[in-house]
Amino acid sequence: LQRKLRSIWSISLLILLSRYKDRHLHMSVFSQSFSPCGRFLAAGNNYGEIAVFSLSSALSPDATDLSQTPILTFTAHEGPVFSLFSTDSHLLSAGNGEISAWSWAELIKRNTKAAWTRRPNYKSSLEIPEINAMTVNPTENSLVIGGGDNNIHIMDLESGVFKSVLQGHTDYIHCLSVREREGEILSGGEDGAVRIWDHRTGQSVHCIEVYKYEECARPQYGKWISCLTTESDWMLCGGGPSLSLWHLRSMSPTSIFPLSGCQRQANFYQDMILSVGEGQCVSHCLLGGEVKAQIPCTPHSLNTLALNLNSTDNRVRVLTVGGSSHQIDVFTNLSYRTFSLSF
Amino acid sequence: MGAVTDDEVIRKRLLIDGDGAGDDRRINVLLKSFTKWCNSTGSPEEGFTQYQRMLGTLAQCEFSMGKTLLVYDMNLREMENYEKIYTDIEQNITSAHDKISECKKEIQRAKRIRKNRQEYDALAKVIQQHPDRHETLKQLEALDKELQQLSHIKENVEDKLELRKKQFHVLLSTIQELQQTLESKYDCCRCALLWQDGLWVCWTMWRSLYKGWV
Repeated sequence: LQRKLRSIWSISLLILLSRYKDRHLHMSVFSQSFSPCGRFLAAGNNYGEIAVFSLSSALSPDATDLSQTPILTFTAHEGPVFSLFSTDSHLLSAGNGEISAWSWAELIKRNTKAAWTRRPNYKSSLEIPEINAMTVNPTENSLVIGGGDNNIHIMDLESGVFKSVLQGHTDYIHCLSVREREGEILSGGEDGAVRIWDHRTGQSVHCIEVYKYEECARPQYGKWISCLTTESDWMLCGGGPSLSLWHLRSMSPTSIFPLSGCQRQANFYQDMILSVGEGQCVSHCLLGGEVKAQIPCTPHSLNTLALNLNSTDNRVRVLTVGGSSHQIDVFTNLSYRTFSLSF
Repeated sequence: MGAVTDDEVIRKRLLIDGDGAGDDRRINVLLKSFTKWCNSTGSPEEGFTQYQRMLGTLAQCEFSMGKTLLVYDMNLREMENYEKIYTDIEQNITSAHDKISECKKEIQRAKRIRKNRQEYDALAKVIQQHPDRHETLKQLEALDKELQQLSHIKENVEDKLELRKKQFHVLLSTIQELQQTLESKYDCCRCALLWQDGLWVCWTMWRSLYKGWV
């Protein structure tokens, strides 16, 4: 619901605010993605723009203030860019109900022509549902899209054909995750359910209603699930209910994290869990349920967290977070904020 | 060619002693005093003192030369020492690099181990909440035994019930028959009945009873 309101607001304010100098005050960064080589970062904001930053020049010893600004900014969609994903050669961006692909090689050369733009088959043509989450299923080379029409669309990346639609959620989908080994797609939505789908049959294998578990539920925030991530047999999910770690084999919650505020993105990293959400900090948690550290950052509320693990060059192995600010914080050492990139 | 070497010489001399004080001046003074002494026309004592002075200056020159030679040797040895220290430090640096990469690998391994331990702990916590398997099995066994006993008792009770039912049935049916026979006036045979001493007696019975009297 928050995202829907935000998108309506931003589209209506787009024309007014994007022309004014204080557009920076109203900018929110919703999505980030690193290039396959690891030297560039693309970020999408609520005005529908994508900015490409050069990490190698921002992190080099002779960086100036200019290197902390984008090398390229362009308007990709009419609506906010809620999701960005990088494949080996292309950057996929989702906005205004459609998906566009941009070649990374072309973007680095400052050429902003999209390679292709496709739209899933929506049943109703009256309202265009926004796309909230995108992920790639590597075994099938297919793109999994979840959005405002309560369904998950699966598109084959090579042919561009929309292969199947997974129906089952009763409200729009916030987040997606893929378990490669078991061939499962997990989706979390506004209806508070985490559904596990088998990608071959297209059937919902399990449905976990997180808010029904007493230890996780936080009725004062609601039942929606806004962040979902998996690693082998473990799953992290959170949103209205507290961020919790689940063991998927036994379908039971093992640890609940005492973080105030709703978490919007969480990742597993080495032996820790990194999580961002409402609250001006990045939370580091241990698998047992303790919050080890909370590192302060610039935006007052964070929407996205990205780890650059693509590159072997240690210099660009950074963590970047973005949220309700035009600045994107970069962490070279997880313990403190190094500097901020400015949209 | 000659000009180049002259430049070299000039540069060297300027480098060594450019300000005109010190050894160079002493040598020039010595040469001048030597030529003056050779061409001197003074007394032999003066000549002798000048000769002594020249010897003294010569000794000074030799002394400073000896000093510079020693300093030169010392510099060479210092250079060697520094070279050695330099190679030592380089070796230390490479070994430290190796140790750092080893330690980094160790830390990765330790982090993985810690993660596994934490996962194990989290699962153990969940498992602990469920009751012990042995206890549940024992409880199940006890319940089974109880169930068997109770079904045994039930069978016994049912058998007894059946038996009593049958017995009562027999009793009731005989009572009913008896009642019927008593109520019916034709007891043994269908002949006329006579009232005799408060009893209905049939004709054959009356005859046999009172036969002797007639």
